[in-house]
Amino acid sequence: MTNSIGEIRDADFLFVIGSNTSEAHPIIAMEMKRAVKRGATLVVADPRAIWMSTIAEKHLHINPGTDVWLLNAMAHVIIEENLIDEEFIKNSTENFEDVKEAVKNYTPEEAEKMTGISAEDIRWTARKYATTKKAGIYYTLGITEHTHGIDNVYALSNLVLMTGHLGKPSAGMNPLRGQNNVQGANDAGATPVFYPGYQKVDDKEVQKKYEKSWGTSLSPNLGLNLNEMMKTAGNKIKAFFVMGEDIVLSEPNVLKLEEGLNQMEFIVIQEPFINETTRFADVVFPSGVFAEKDGTFTNSERRVQRVRKAVEPPGNALADWEILVRLANACGANWDYKNPAEIYSEFVKDTPKFSGISHERLDTEIGTGGKTGLQWPCENPSETGTKYLHENGISRGKGLFQAVSFEPSPELPCEEYGLLLSTGRTLYHYNAATQTRREEGLALKQSEAFIEIHPKDAKKRGIAHKEMVEVRTRRGSIEARALYSRQVRPHCIWMPLHFAEARANVLTNDVGDKITGTASYKICAAEVFKLDTKDHSHDIFPGAFFFEESPELEKELS
Amino acid sequence: MKLKVNGQFVNFSEGETILEVASKVGAEIPTLCHDARLNPVGACRSCLVEVEGSRRLVPSCYQKAEDGMEITTENDRIERHRKTLFALYLTDQPETREQAEPHKTNEIFEFAERYEAPQNWGKMENIREDREDRNPYVNFEPETCISCARCVRYCDEIEGVSAITLADRGSKTTISTVDSLSLLDTTCEMCGGCIDVCPTGAMGEKIPLTKNAKHERELEKVRSTCNFCGVGCQLELNVDKEANDGKGQVVKVTSPPVGETTNDGNLCVKGRFAYEFINHEDRLTEPLVRGEDGQFYPTTWENALEVAAKGLLGVAERHGADSLGFVSSSRCTMEENYLVQKLSRAVFKTNNVHQCAAT
Repeated sequence: MTNSIGEIRDADFLFVIGSNTSEAHPIIAMEMKRAVKRGATLVVADPRAIWMSTIAEKHLHINPGTDVWLLNAMAHVIIEENLIDEEFIKNSTENFEDVKEAVKNYTPEEAEKMTGISAEDIRWTARKYATTKKAGIYYTLGITEHTHGIDNVYALSNLVLMTGHLGKPSAGMNPLRGQNNVQGANDAGATPVFYPGYQKVDDKEVQKKYEKSWGTSLSPNLGLNLNEMMKTAGNKIKAFFVMGEDIVLSEPNVLKLEEGLNQMEFIVIQEPFINETTRFADVVFPSGVFAEKDGTFTNSERRVQRVRKAVEPPGNALADWEILVRLANACGANWDYKNPAEIYSEFVKDTPKFSGISHERLDTEIGTGGKTGLQWPCENPSETGTKYLHENGISRGKGLFQAVSFEPSPELPCEEYGLLLSTGRTLYHYNAATQTRREEGLALKQSEAFIEIHPKDAKKRGIAHKEMVEVRTRRGSIEARALYSRQVRPHCIWMPLHFAEARANVLTNDVGDKITGTASYKICAAEVFKLDTKDHSHDIFPGAFFFEESPELEKELS
Repeated sequence: MKLKVNGQFVNFSEGETILEVASKVGAEIPTLCHDARLNPVGACRSCLVEVEGSRRLVPSCYQKAEDGMEITTENDRIERHRKTLFALYLTDQPETREQAEPHKTNEIFEFAERYEAPQNWGKMENIREDREDRNPYVNFEPETCISCARCVRYCDEIEGVSAITLADRGSKTTISTVDSLSLLDTTCEMCGGCIDVCPTGAMGEKIPLTKNAKHERELEKVRSTCNFCGVGCQLELNVDKEANDGKGQVVKVTSPPVGETTNDGNLCVKGRFAYEFINHEDRLTEPLVRGEDGQFYPTTWENALEVAAKGLLGVAERHGADSLGFVSSSRCTMEENYLVQKLSRAVFKTNNVHQCAAT
């Protein structure tokens, strides 16, 4: 996020795209609700009706995968009606002409045909966004989990740059991070292309710096990203070390991944629970959960905050960092970290953006914006961190416009697979749900897998509300309960990813974005078949917000 | 702008309430219906103070500060008012403090003790309708409800779902839902904000009650960061240090005070209630190594580490370092992610390291 979470309540325009905020980021949603109560305008662009769309000024009910059409058409309107911030473009950006040229043919009328959103609504949203000073964009995986995810992000940042909605409070570009420490894991360098602090692996100077710091030679080769590792498991990749992820539940196209895992020579897994993936492991290390260890998590707004040990791990389980130290030493290293504070100090020694942060400061000082925790960049101990980015000019020097054009998703509905499947999270569970499905209360609220299907599509297939169905794609099939829903568009189905007995990722496509490798979890072609069970009566709470079948709709359909 | 609180000058800006300005100089004013996140209603009358020139005491949570005001927060008149008020509130509470607060402080008793309110004004008959609710988290105790409506206002103004409401009239008024439905069947999203803001325990947390957790006075609060989504809410893990053979057990999760952290006193259903997995019987307690028969066997750390090291180093030797893949975790700490990439790069000489946030 370029802004802070606390700035959301003061925003005047919120453009929420590809984010089911009230379910995936409930506390950020509270801030948005507060802004709307205060009088801010909220526009939600999402293929599903979601809770947030009920309080939105407009819900842009977009055709899945056509975001570039919507965003380029908004850029088209902003340029055509001269709502751009000329001074900002001139002083702080480069490459604007490319984008101007690229969006020329993206008229709202053409975009209407592709996105299903009226030209009038596209114009209205573009005008309102461009002309409101405190206008923020908020997005999540609905933008990034596509083969053209990076194009979606570029198209959004083009809007930010041409309107100059950057470097100010409540105005900026805000990806809401999905997991507790996505930001911190990336900051730490757990990526194949960066050393800690986003220093490039293929930069010789950086390599030398770390060779000196770590006292050993390092590989100059770029590593494989997660998508590539999963796809080459058992082939190029012969051994895995996996910490804290249930890969055969969370990764796309898992049946293929499982075949790969069966071919692997050695797998080590570090986990608090037995999960779906441990059945492929040779060794399982029992690890502590967050309440059993010290360290830091960094949240969406770049705020580094302390995790503190409250209880001891069960039996002989150990905190992950302790296991890692022991494993490294068993492999011939000579690590001697006494506590996570020491690890943090080593990390900041070679990463200037973070060098003002330490466990000691986090424990003893009030942080950025008068709240707990320090937001990076924070380069020296006398600074209190950075509330919002790019205040004194864009950090890379000039903001770079990136012209993008629409690329259709690779697997769209066809005769054999007539529906478009998207997957996502719900409020009541979390990812692979190894934690949340062990909570009795949450199980009471949401106990089993389901798919949302439009009543029209369900009836065409002879499927009753709450009936068990088979969901099939080119990669595999699962069984789940079908729920009539008007949250989804006709010809679209949606299901949560949390349930091990009905793994959505048996179905999903593992083709990744050309640059990031992020898989296309949001779009694949699927078909739904009635199953011959008489089990209709099940009591199920499908989620925080759901349209039940209504008599009016019944009438409309018949 | 400037005003005087107990004879002391204080600067303030437009829009601030007397309560907000007075708290800047440390004046202690009791409140029940007040919450900094909510629109003030001035319903409970606990926060009344004296304003020079005003005949009646004024609710400080509601009244905006004005330039030149002279405010008194402690004198005989205010003390008399507080004693009377809390004595009256006490008549509508359970007989003893123990009954009234099984595991969380009841602020009526707290204030009654602090302001030495008479405790012998008798007890009113409880005529509020009791309600059972099969929801897993929120317990209703209408007997202690003082109709301050903090919970209802929170549900409406902050969570925005308006699942609970004041029901009935007069002295029967208490908290309920539409048609007295179970919270499970309403728009409630189980954020538990109602429990958190309730000053008496009329809305209480079920898990500590049903599991007989100790009173919060006997628990240690450990400030930490939530392990679910990327908002980074700060939590107070309420720990019973003696439980679990001295290993300790998290028996409740609460939010740090309003204003101190990014989450501003708020939590969601997972942050507040999903803590029982920590002490779940399914937790792994010993390292496991797969035997020749394909089954897992518990073993010592020494042996498990030796097997793991041998396995990983063996593959590196046979197929080269880039045949290894290290999958780190965005659910783990920054420090742990740093160690995984260092393990991959410095020990095994490969940059094949990534984490689950990538997909």
